Amino acid sequence: MQNSVTPDAISAVLSNPSFDSSSDRSEIVVQVVDLKPIGNRYTFSANDGKTRVKAMFTASLTPEIVSGKIQNLGLIRLVDFTVNDISSKSTKYFLVTKCETVASVLDSEIDLEGKKDEEEGGEAKRQKLDHTPVNDVKETGITLKPKQEFVSKSASQIITEQRGNAAPAARMAMTRRVHPLVSLNPYQGSWTIKVRVTNKGTMRNYKNARGEGCVFNVELTDEEGTQIQATMFNDAARKFYDRFQLGKVYYISRGSLKLANKQFKTVQNDYEMTLNENSEVEEASNEETFVPETKFNFVPIEELGMYVNQKELIDLIGVVQSVSPTMSIRRRTDNEMIPKRDITLADESKKTVVVSLWNDLATGVGQELLDMADKSPVIAIKSLKVGDFQGVSLSTIRRSNVVINPESPEAKKLKSWFDSEGKEASMSSIGSGISPLAKNGSWSMYTDRVLLSHITSNPSLGEEKPVFFSTRGYISFIKPDQTMWYQACKTCNKKVTEAMDSGYWCEGCQKKDEECSLRYIMVVKVSDSTGEAWFSSFNDEAENIIGCSADELNKLRSEGGEVNEFQTKLKEATWSSHVFRISVTQNEYNGEKRQRVTVKGVAPVDFAAEARLLLQDISKKN
Amino acid sequence: MDTSSPSAFVNGSLMRRYIGQKVRTVIQVVGSDVGSVVGKSTDDLQIIVKGSPPTTTTPSTYLEVIGIAENENSIRAEVWTNFGNSFDPVNYNELCKLANGEFKHLFI
Repeated sequence: MQNSVTPDAISAVLSNPSFDSSSDRSEIVVQVVDLKPIGNRYTFSANDGKTRVKAMFTASLTPEIVSGKIQNLGLIRLVDFTVNDISSKSTKYFLVTKCETVASVLDSEIDLEGKKDEEEGGEAKRQKLDHTPVNDVKETGITLKPKQEFVSKSASQIITEQRGNAAPAARMAMTRRVHPLVSLNPYQGSWTIKVRVTNKGTMRNYKNARGEGCVFNVELTDEEGTQIQATMFNDAARKFYDRFQLGKVYYISRGSLKLANKQFKTVQNDYEMTLNENSEVEEASNEETFVPETKFNFVPIEELGMYVNQKELIDLIGVVQSVSPTMSIRRRTDNEMIPKRDITLADESKKTVVVSLWNDLATGVGQELLDMADKSPVIAIKSLKVGDFQGVSLSTIRRSNVVINPESPEAKKLKSWFDSEGKEASMSSIGSGISPLAKNGSWSMYTDRVLLSHITSNPSLGEEKPVFFSTRGYISFIKPDQTMWYQACKTCNKKVTEAMDSGYWCEGCQKKDEECSLRYIMVVKVSDSTGEAWFSSFNDEAENIIGCSADELNKLRSEGGEVNEFQTKLKEATWSSHVFRISVTQNEYNGEKRQRVTVKGVAPVDFAAEARLLLQDISKKN
Repeated sequence: MDTSSPSAFVNGSLMRRYIGQKVRTVIQVVGSDVGSVVGKSTDDLQIIVKGSPPTTTTPSTYLEVIGIAENENSIRAEVWTNFGNSFDPVNYNELCKLANGEFKHLFI
């Protein structure tokens, strides 16, 4: 099978007055150039590398062109064609009734003579013609014919010819003016785009000040790879929800564009699209459905620490250790109850982590996992948010995707590790990295080490998102008359209010308890050789610093007596040195921006490790 | 603080600079004899310490010794201190190098 044109074929044909295509013409391969529609038929120039001749496809071949089988700059073998005269002129043209596609779109027009008059650059092309048949077999002079041969091109044709190397589907632009996604903006008039749905969200019901409604969005990608998110509300949502299917291609027009809300941006695009009931969404019937395989980028559980509270979403793969029953959590924003299920996953790092599945994931795939939990399935989850509850916690979001027992090499590796040693291995939770001897604690206590002066001298630290450091210092002062603790619900640790009768009411759990526990919330002053700063500390870390629980300290406080045990406890905690893991953020307070340092973890000072750090610093300074 | 007779921080290889002078070093006990203890310096050289340690020296314990360097590898001990079993010899070794090198002016 030839992969290129048959040189001189055209000249040979034209020079043979008694040409008959059915006999010995089956080997002619030409390149289709200047393909354009006239009415319901397509004309083109047949190029054999040396000469070009005007040609036309019969109407019966139009579907093949429309479907992209025959394309501009592609190669076709002329199976059945005739040579006709253009009426009243001495020029001939090929009327092709049957052909076979030999090769699809080539880079450019083949020119075996090296004389390129045409650039693949989109200037208005001049029609090339062949000429007198008989004597000019070898001549390749390309003459410009006067006006009637000049065909002006529409913008879409020029663009199509320019994008010669685009995927076959690009040829479809011939019939519809399709705009690349990258050219869309809010001020452009009417446009049509041709896009594939690369992600489809679930329908969500909402209630806000203006009422209630439903919404869903889709992620659209065009051939150039540009992506945009499209959102539909209420009637439009209901209209298009079933029409949009993951992996299918659609022509869309009459949508509106606006600047994307950076907070909720999921794709790289300055704009986002909204479709209403007047928008048009039409499935492109000749396109294959292509659902891109979910691409995962797994983070091992033991490395989750650096993603805590960051905006970046992560993917995780692990073996299911346990699945909790569904819990109903009240959403604070609208008091709606939403289902949640916690699953514990483990991986080869012998660490476990808890992943909270929300909404449909809790009830759907979560139930599946509960039923098969004893089989210890491997699951992969895409797009998880990393929080700091209990050290490290993972949560699903609307676009999270859970795959049970995926067919991937990582899953196989994990399963075989689990079957061989993981099953029996003792694991530890990634979140419990407070213990100084735990290996996983070391990432936090020795990374991003700073002196206090680094924090105090830089008031705009943590302006956009919290910054994390570790630091070593002494507790230099604990104010004895500050509010050191709050009354907390024994179940969920949230603040409780005192009930009218006895007991305490928890808004989160919606229940009353006779007792509550006290949990620390205090500020302490920390100093080192370079400066001092106030650190806010919550229960676990404060307990570590003070050396007893808030309930116990409260008891000591209320006990009077000669020796004030309460003061002693505080005194003992003062001038003790610790290594802290801290986060620095900005708070607005009465219109002023203030730095807030929060203790995320505490560990005793490991002198050998600290000495090593100091030695490192000394050698760095040289 | 009695600064009348300062002692230089040394490891095995630095001892030769202070022969006849007061030095201090940390050794890891290898074995003991009557009247002397054999130890390994923080840079893995053998050091002999003459005298008798106050406590029974079990091998692998770290001892700080302050005394006069008699020659390149032996000290006549005056003060012994038990540093226990968990001691980082690498850090100490670096300290000795710095204290005798670019930061000598901060020490003796």
